[in-house]
Amino acid sequence: MAKSKGEDSGVFAGNIIRDKHFKDIRRKHAFRLALTYILPFIFLIIFFQYEYNLLLSEGQSLHMKATSENQSNILGLYLRERVVNLLNLIDDPNFNFPPSSDDLEKYLKKLKLDSDAFIDIGFFDTSGIQVAYFGPMSILKSKDYSKEPWYINLQKLERRYIITDIYLGLRNKPHFTIAVNKIVNGKYYVIKSSLDPKKIYDFMTGSEQVGDIYISIVNRKGQYQLVSTDRGKVLDKSPIIPKIESKIGVNKTEVNGKVVDFAYSWLDEVDWAVIVSRKFLEGNYLGLHSSLIIISVIILFILIIMIIFRANKIAQMQIEKDIAKSQLEHASKLASVGELAGGIAHEINNPLAIIASEVGLIKDKMDPKFGMNSSPEDLEPHLEHIYEAVFRCRDITRKLLSFVRQDGIELRQHDTNDIINDLIDGFFEREFSVSNIEIVRRLKKNIPSITTDSNQFKQVLLNIINNAADAITPPGKIIISTTFDGEHIIISISDTGKGIKEEDIGKIFMPFFTTKEVGKGTGLGLSVSYGIIKNLGGNIEVESIYRKGTTFTIKLPLFINR
Amino acid sequence: MNDKIKLLIVDDEVNFLNSIAQRLEMRDFDVTRASNGNEAIQSVNNDKFDIALLDLKMPGMDGKQVLEILKREHKYIEVIILTGHGSLESAVECTKLGAFGYLPKPYELDKLLDILKDAYETRMKKKFEKDDQRLEQLMKIATGGSALSILREMRKLDDEEK
Repeated sequence: MAKSKGEDSGVFAGNIIRDKHFKDIRRKHAFRLALTYILPFIFLIIFFQYEYNLLLSEGQSLHMKATSENQSNILGLYLRERVVNLLNLIDDPNFNFPPSSDDLEKYLKKLKLDSDAFIDIGFFDTSGIQVAYFGPMSILKSKDYSKEPWYINLQKLERRYIITDIYLGLRNKPHFTIAVNKIVNGKYYVIKSSLDPKKIYDFMTGSEQVGDIYISIVNRKGQYQLVSTDRGKVLDKSPIIPKIESKIGVNKTEVNGKVVDFAYSWLDEVDWAVIVSRKFLEGNYLGLHSSLIIISVIILFILIIMIIFRANKIAQMQIEKDIAKSQLEHASKLASVGELAGGIAHEINNPLAIIASEVGLIKDKMDPKFGMNSSPEDLEPHLEHIYEAVFRCRDITRKLLSFVRQDGIELRQHDTNDIINDLIDGFFEREFSVSNIEIVRRLKKNIPSITTDSNQFKQVLLNIINNAADAITPPGKIIISTTFDGEHIIISISDTGKGIKEEDIGKIFMPFFTTKEVGKGTGLGLSVSYGIIKNLGGNIEVESIYRKGTTFTIKLPLFINR
Repeated sequence: MNDKIKLLIVDDEVNFLNSIAQRLEMRDFDVTRASNGNEAIQSVNNDKFDIALLDLKMPGMDGKQVLEILKREHKYIEVIILTGHGSLESAVECTKLGAFGYLPKPYELDKLLDILKDAYETRMKKKFEKDDQRLEQLMKIATGGSALSILREMRKLDDEEK
């Protein structure tokens, strides 16, 4: 059990109890307020953040969908234009049926003016043989195409044109074909041209801001038709396969373990789909909108400050309510030494009345008028009662004398701290070490000497410290501190005991007032102490928080003005 | 009819209560003892008393409260305060509340007997006045109206008497 001796401290013992209580209340309320305001706020922020992210990804999906649709429209238009180019050629009245190689060369030049995607041109007679050809693959001339799927499909579809998927063909370079037909005098003729897919891809990707998205085109089987070279090769299987059932859509798929959002749009002119997918940005995408974070942090900060202020305020108000201050006016009227006599008188009157009554009764019993013929045995109990009453009186006067010295006041110069230290070292240290009550001394150094009666002053201290000890259920603390305010020596005795109820605190200085059970206390200690201090020219005040502790503050002037 | 004065003594000091009660019983008072306010109220509810001797400082219900109740609900009892806690203020207060007299402890027997006698006389005077009143009322009832109305009026009187 550690004890501190004579620290020089400006903090007041009384305030320690009050401060601790204050901090307890403040902490409790700050916690409650935080729960009420900050918690919902945080939930709200998280909710909004989530909603925002949802909105964001929705927006991005819509954007991708629009882009894919846009791109598919552009590609569709482009393809249609190439079809129109060929149709214009074959429908031209000046078109020779059949054309010669020179004709075809001329025609190809014309086509190339329309678009540099055209690679070659070939003419097929009614039996599907390429009877005329101009282009890099002259080996194809005279080849029979009647069994080729595109030729068959073109006839089947009853359409004037067909666009094929991309294939490698004899050249081992990816290309695709557009073929158109015409019936002249009942005869079925076809011209076809091969096109370079790379030119188309350049055209497409050059036509739109495609910074953060990938564009590719796949066929029904999911094979790349057009794709940027760093992502894949033409005719490779695309990891992203769009649904065939819907013309336009948005979906998710897993590529290399990462979830990728994509949009697709199928073309009308050919069974191709444009696929738009988001470029995955490494690490950056936390989904946290930076300005939202800044604002929430600011708001959180403001909330915390407001909560602290509010908790402070509440704690303050609570403290005012809890602290019971003694009603000095009422107490002083009753507790001066003169008034003490009145209280004593009453206490003694009762035993005196018993004595008088019993004596009278004995006399009555011995009076022949009443004819009771009492024997000594009859009178015995009354003598007993008288005896008891007498000693009751004696006890009362004895207890009073034990607190009040008969031999007047002796005034001398003393050092307050010395008196306190003597008292504690000589007396209480021993007592309290057994009962687990810690005595803490915070005696301010170098306070001036005081002219007073040290015996009476010690009595007061003894009384108050004893009261403090009685109030504590161990373990507990008694804190004694001294200071000087320029005029008075101020001694403060605080305990962590059970405190004084508000309804009692006005009565504690009243004589014979006690909350202890019968036989445990006379109720004289504080009233006598009060009288003594008043006689020495000073004052006692009390402050208490029920169940937390009590502080007695004694003020004594340096010199007594009589 | 018993002609002893019916007295109720209320005091929390057992020895004092017994000694004064015995002394007064030897002087032909019919004494009932009560050692606190509740017992006192119970006694006056069960029986009719002429005078009560009342201590002020008692545990639980104190003397002043008992005095108030007695004067409110049992007006015909005269109350004398007998207390060790004597002061002018308290005497004036109790008189205002209807106490007949105020005696300090320890008491002097002669003074006590005097005041008891005075209180009894006053009590009897009031009783006679009341009896006269009642007789008048009865006369009025008896000379007026039908048998039934007489019975009704008598019933009313009885209720007031309670």
